[in-house]
Amino acid sequence: MATEAYEKQAMKERQLTNKVPWKIKMRPFLILSPAFLLTIGILIPFGMAIYFSLTNYSFKYAEYMFVGLENWIAMFSSPSFWHSVGVTLSYAGLATLIETLLGIGIALLLNRENMLARSLRIVLIFPLVIAPVIATIIWQLMTNNSVGIYSDWLRQLGITNFNWGADPSTALITVLIIDAWVFTPFVTILVLAGLRSLPKAPFESAMIDGGSAWFTFKNLTLPMIMPMLIIAVLFRLMLSLQMFDIIFALTRGGPGDTLMTLPLTAYTEAFTYKELGVSLPFMLILYLFVYFLSHFIVKYWTYTQNKASGK
Amino acid sequence: MKKKIIAFLQNAALVLYAMFAIFPLLWLVILSFKHDRDMFNTTFIFTPTLENYRMLFSDGEYIGYFLDNIIVSFGAIALSIIVGVPAAYALARFDFKGRDGIAFTFLSFRFAPEILVVLPLFLLYQELGLYDTYVGLIWVFQVLSLPLLIWILRGYFEDISVEVENAARLDGYSWWQVFIKIVMPLIRPGLVASALLSLIFVWNNFTFSLLLAGQDVTTTTVAMLQYVASDTVHYGQMAGAVLIASLPIIILALSIQKHLVRGLSMGSVKG
Amino acid sequence: MADVTLQSVSKKFKKDIALDNINLKIKDKEFFVIFGPAGAGKTTLLNVIAGLYLPDYGDVYLDGEHYNYVEPEDRNIAMVFENYALYPHFTVFDNIASPLRSPRYKEPKAVVEKEVSRVANILKIDHLLERDISELSNGQRQRVGLGRALVRNPNVFLMDEPITHLDAKLRHQMRAELKEMQKNLDTTTIYVTHDYLEALSLGDKIAILNEGKIEQIGTPDEIYYYPHNEFVASSFGEPEINFFRASVTKDNQLSIFEEAKNQPLPETIKGYVKENVTSVKLGIRPKNIQYSFTKENENCVECIPYSFEPLGAKAVLTVEKDGNQIRLTVPSTLQVAMDKPVYVQLDVNKAIFFGPNKMNLLSKYREDAKGEVVWQN
Repeated sequence: MATEAYEKQAMKERQLTNKVPWKIKMRPFLILSPAFLLTIGILIPFGMAIYFSLTNYSFKYAEYMFVGLENWIAMFSSPSFWHSVGVTLSYAGLATLIETLLGIGIALLLNRENMLARSLRIVLIFPLVIAPVIATIIWQLMTNNSVGIYSDWLRQLGITNFNWGADPSTALITVLIIDAWVFTPFVTILVLAGLRSLPKAPFESAMIDGGSAWFTFKNLTLPMIMPMLIIAVLFRLMLSLQMFDIIFALTRGGPGDTLMTLPLTAYTEAFTYKELGVSLPFMLILYLFVYFLSHFIVKYWTYTQNKASGK
Repeated sequence: MKKKIIAFLQNAALVLYAMFAIFPLLWLVILSFKHDRDMFNTTFIFTPTLENYRMLFSDGEYIGYFLDNIIVSFGAIALSIIVGVPAAYALARFDFKGRDGIAFTFLSFRFAPEILVVLPLFLLYQELGLYDTYVGLIWVFQVLSLPLLIWILRGYFEDISVEVENAARLDGYSWWQVFIKIVMPLIRPGLVASALLSLIFVWNNFTFSLLLAGQDVTTTTVAMLQYVASDTVHYGQMAGAVLIASLPIIILALSIQKHLVRGLSMGSVKG
Repeated sequence: MADVTLQSVSKKFKKDIALDNINLKIKDKEFFVIFGPAGAGKTTLLNVIAGLYLPDYGDVYLDGEHYNYVEPEDRNIAMVFENYALYPHFTVFDNIASPLRSPRYKEPKAVVEKEVSRVANILKIDHLLERDISELSNGQRQRVGLGRALVRNPNVFLMDEPITHLDAKLRHQMRAELKEMQKNLDTTTIYVTHDYLEALSLGDKIAILNEGKIEQIGTPDEIYYYPHNEFVASSFGEPEINFFRASVTKDNQLSIFEEAKNQPLPETIKGYVKENVTSVKLGIRPKNIQYSFTKENENCVECIPYSFEPLGAKAVLTVEKDGNQIRLTVPSTLQVAMDKPVYVQLDVNKAIFFGPNKMNLLSKYREDAKGEVVWQN
C-alpha cells in the first residue's frame, strides 16, 4: 500500500533528530559545578588515603616509601584489630538496638493526646541538639566523684563499685548511656512522625474486628512505620559505627583498650604513635563496611516503602 | 478501670524517661548558679549567684572560642547555601545523565567516617597552609553541611510544580530569573530549616575542629574538653559555659521544629 | 497575531512515543481545538508549541519563522494551565500582573494597573485582587489563570483543559463566556480538551489526537457527520455511536441481522465499496435508531431490554441483541417493560460506513499530504 511507503519514508526522516543546543544541555552541569569543585576537595583526601595506606608514611620522619600491602597485612594479622572490630560492632549494634527499642517505645507513649505527651513532645528533643562532646561533659559532671549527683545517689543506694567510665566493666555501659541520652530522641521523632501520618481507617476496622493491641501493632503499625524506622536505624547504625566524640571525650579509648573502636584505634595510631600509613587501613576498612551496609539498607528501605504504600 | 491503670503506667514510664532526658540539663542550670564554695556541700538548696556567668564573660578567652565557633559555622553554612542551593535545584529539576549517581555521591559523604576524612586532610592542609585557619575548617565542614542541604532542598524543589516554572517562562522570565523570582521565595522555609539544621551539626562538630585546628582557631567543643582536662575545674563556670554553648542550638531547634524530621533524615522522610 | 505550523513533529519520553509525526496548520485568529483522551499527547503538543519541549524531530513555525530554538520567554505565547500553575506566594493582582512586569515586557506601572483591572473586570474577579491564591476557590483560581494570559497581547493563546476542574454549572457558564471572549480577542487560540461538547461548541476547527497521532482534522460539522474513522465516530456523541457488522452480498445488499430483511447499499456509498469487500461496519447514532414494541415490519429486530437511564428530558435505553448492546435515545417518559422485547429498525441511509481498516469509506488518505486528512464528499 502507498501509505506503507509513506510511513517508511517518515520513519527514515524521523531518525534525523533535532539537536538540543549545547547551551541548554550544559545548564545542569553549569549549575552543579560550584558544588562539584568544592567536593573535589573532599574526594582528593579519599584518593590520598588509599595511596598513603600503601606507604610507611609517619609524622616522625620527613621521608616515606611505598610498602605495598604491608600495613594491610599487619592490620589483619594483629589481634588488636579484631578486638577493635569487636568493640566497634558491639558498640554500634547495642547503641542502635537500645535507641531503636527505646525510641519506638517513647514515640508510642508520646503519640497520645494528653497534656503530658503534648508538652514532652517538644522538650524531649533537647538532648539531640546538644553536641555529643558537650553531652559527655555533662554526664561527666553528673557522675563525677566530687560533685556528681548520680554518683552521690548511687552511693546513697549503697552501690559503691560502679565507677562509670573509669572501670573496664562499666565503661561500655557508660558510653552507651550517653549515646542513648543524645540519640534516642532521633529515633523517637522519626517514628513519631511516622505514627502521626498513619491513616485512621485500617486501625478503626482492626478495632471493630477486635484485634489485640499487640496484634494491631505487629501487623498494622509496624509495617506502616517501617520505612521511617529503617531510615532511623540506617542513620544511627552508620553514625555509631564511626562514633568518635563520645568515647574520645570520656576515656580516649580506655581504660586500657576497652573502648578502642576502629576510629579510636586509627586516631591513636596516627596522632599518638604518628604512624599515618598504619592507621589508614583501619578507617578504609570501616568505610568499605559502612558503604556496603548503607547500600544494602537503602535497598531494603525502598522495598519496605513500596510495601507500605501497598505496591 | 483497667484502662486507667494502663494510662497511669504509660504516663509513669514517660515521666521516668523524661527524668532521664531532662534532669541532666536541669542539673546543669542549677550548677551554673552555684558558687564554687557551695559546690561540694549543697545539692538543691543554696544561694544562687551570677558569679559563674560574670567570670565567663569577663574572661575574654571564652568569648573568643564562642566567636570562633560563630565564624566557622556561619561561614560554612553560607558557603553551603551558595553552592548547594543551585546544585539541589539542578538535581531536582533537570533530567540529565548520571543525575541519581551524582545525588547519591553527595549523600554518601555524610556516611564517610570523619577520621577518614581528617587523616589525609591533616597532611593536605599543612601543605596548603590551611591548617588551623577559618578557611580550612569552613571547607572541611562542607562534608557535614553540603549533603544535608542538597538532600533536603532537593525535596523542597521537587515539591514545586514544574508548571509554575513553565508559566513563569511564558510570562517572559528566563530560566535563571524564574529561579530567583519564583522558585527561591517558594523554598524559603525549606532553605531556612535546612540551613539551621546544618548549622546545628557544624556548631556541634568536634572531630574536625580538634584535628584540623586547635590553637589559633578553637571552637567551643574543643575548648570545653581542654578545660575539663585541665587541673583547676570550676564546675559552676563549666556548667555555665556548656549552657551558653548549647542554648543557641536549642533555640534554633525549636524554631525549625516543623522541618526537623525532614531535615534529620536528610529529606528521605517528609515530616 | 500569528499562524502556527507544525511539520512532522515527533516527541518521545524514554521509550513512550508522545507525539508521532504531527502535521498541523493553524490559521491566524482561528480557534483551534485539540481533542483526545487522557494520555493522547495533547499537553505535550501544547508544550512543544510553547517551547517548553524541543521536539525530537520536526519543526515548529510561527508566522513562517522557524521557532524550534526560540526560548519560551521569547515566543510571546500565553498559556493557561490545566492545574492553573499560579504563583502561590503572589496575590491575585501580582499573578495577573506577572507577565506585564516581567523583564521581557516591562510595562510602566500605570499600564500594569490599568490592564490588570480591565481583565479582572471581564473575569469578574476585581473584588479578589488583594487576596492570596490559597484563599480562592477552584473556579476563581481558574479565572486568575485565564487573567494572567488575557492581560497580554500574545501571538497565540494556549489553553490546556482550562475549565475541566470546574463543577458542571460553572463549566457550562465558562464555556459560554470563553466563546464570547474569543469573538472579541481576535487572536489565534489553541485549546486542549477531552470533552467533546467543549470541542464542538468552541472550535472553528478540531484536531483529534489519539496515542500521539492525529486521527482527523476538520470543522465541528465534518467531525460529527463525517468522522474519518471509528475512533473519531465513537469519541463524539453521547451516548456513544453504535457499531454493527454487516456483510455485503454479491448483489450489493447489506445483511446486518439474519432475522431482518437485507437492505440495499445506499447509492452514495456504492462507488466506495470495492468488489472484493464482503463485510463493512455501520455506525449509527443512538438518536437515529427507530424502535417499537411490536414487530412492525420485516426490518424489525427483536432485542431484550438491558437498562433504562433517565437523563432529564431524554433517556438512554440499552438493549441487547446476540450479546451486543445497542444504545438508543428515547424520551424519558417512555414506558419500557423490562421483560418485554423491544424491536429495533436500522436505517442504513443514516449510517456511517467503515471499511476493514476502521476508516470511513467516504474519506481517503492522500499520500502527498503527509498525514493530513482531506475530505472528499
